[in-house]
Amino acid sequence: MSTCPSDSRPTLRTIVENSLVVLLQGLHGQVTTVDLRDESTARGRVVNVDAYMNVRLADVLFRDRRGRVSRLEDLFITGRNVRYVHIPDNLDITDTIEKQLGKISRMRNYETKNPQSQPKTCKICT
Amino acid sequence: MVVLKSVSPPTDGVRHEQAETSAILDGKGLGCGTLYVAETRLSWFDGTGMGFSLEYPTIGLHAISRDLGTYPQEHLYVMVNAKLNDENDAEMRENAEDEEDEDASDDDGGAGDDEEGVISEIRFVPSDKAALEPMFSAMCECQALHPDPDDEDSENDFEGEEYDVEEAEHGRGDIPSFYTCEEGLSSLNSEGEATLSRLEGMLARSVAQQFHMAGVRTDNTGGDFEDGMDVEGGSAEAGQFEDADADVDHW
Repeated sequence: MSTCPSDSRPTLRTIVENSLVVLLQGLHGQVTTVDLRDESTARGRVVNVDAYMNVRLADVLFRDRRGRVSRLEDLFITGRNVRYVHIPDNLDITDTIEKQLGKISRMRNYETKNPQSQPKTCKICT
Repeated sequence: MVVLKSVSPPTDGVRHEQAETSAILDGKGLGCGTLYVAETRLSWFDGTGMGFSLEYPTIGLHAISRDLGTYPQEHLYVMVNAKLNDENDAEMRENAEDEEDEDASDDDGGAGDDEEGVISEIRFVPSDKAALEPMFSAMCECQALHPDPDDEDSENDFEGEEYDVEEAEHGRGDIPSFYTCEEGLSSLNSEGEATLSRLEGMLARSVAQQFHMAGVRTDNTGGDFEDGMDVEGGSAEAGQFEDADADVDHW
């Protein structure tokens, strides 16, 4: 059963488990290219991807839609503006998804059995 | 040309405030002022109290730029999916066609409106360059508070059960990794059968042990289970290799 809070909005965890965002979260630390809706591209190291597909990259080579290139130390792309995220060729997609789901599930199991020591924020899903 | 309006700075939920910050909008310098990174909106006001506000849903990206070859000052770069329009208030106005097209056609089509785009580029240049990181982080936090309301995926009712890795790995009888084919079993020699029954016995004992442990799982809740084997306690591990030498020739 999915977990839905009283306001009937799905939890972040539910969103992550039921979409391919979970694959993107497996890219932490990897260098990849993100194509934006306006056809600019950003290539850098994935720092974080949240449930809304907001992507944070570091050490970025940014090519704007006019083709002008610049370096950005830290970049945050709003999920709505993401068109593609390139998955590195050497990444095993199924394996990555399973591992990410496993981490989330174990954290949930841990929280269920240890409610008093539940962390305030889920660092995977936020 | 932008006409700055007199809008009051946000008072609640200000995650970061940075004074002595210049603002450059689409290449045009607006002077020096104060940047407010608030949970509701991003605002900037010059010394005379005039300024502008940005709504987070209109912000496409933000970044720290230290590349002096591109721009001579280290700054916070913000790309806005809208045009600052001096006929309206300083509130951002989304391209109205953008939303109408999304109803009529696919999200990635947009009849070329998205590609052309109405985009504004803003550079916030603080006098204190060390402030760039907290400015950036504060914006990340506030941006995350404004997920895309048009994203239907996040509104769907998710059916199905939550993924349970314990279930997936140990199963309740249907363990896909176990070889239960009749043909396979019949091809075991006597020592193979003995090994199989020994391993099955050990597995049954270790599974039974899990439910006897008082509530708290062991501390192996980190990322250690790469191979999917969830071994509880030390005795099972020690027992596994007791007679390993005897089997070495048969593997």
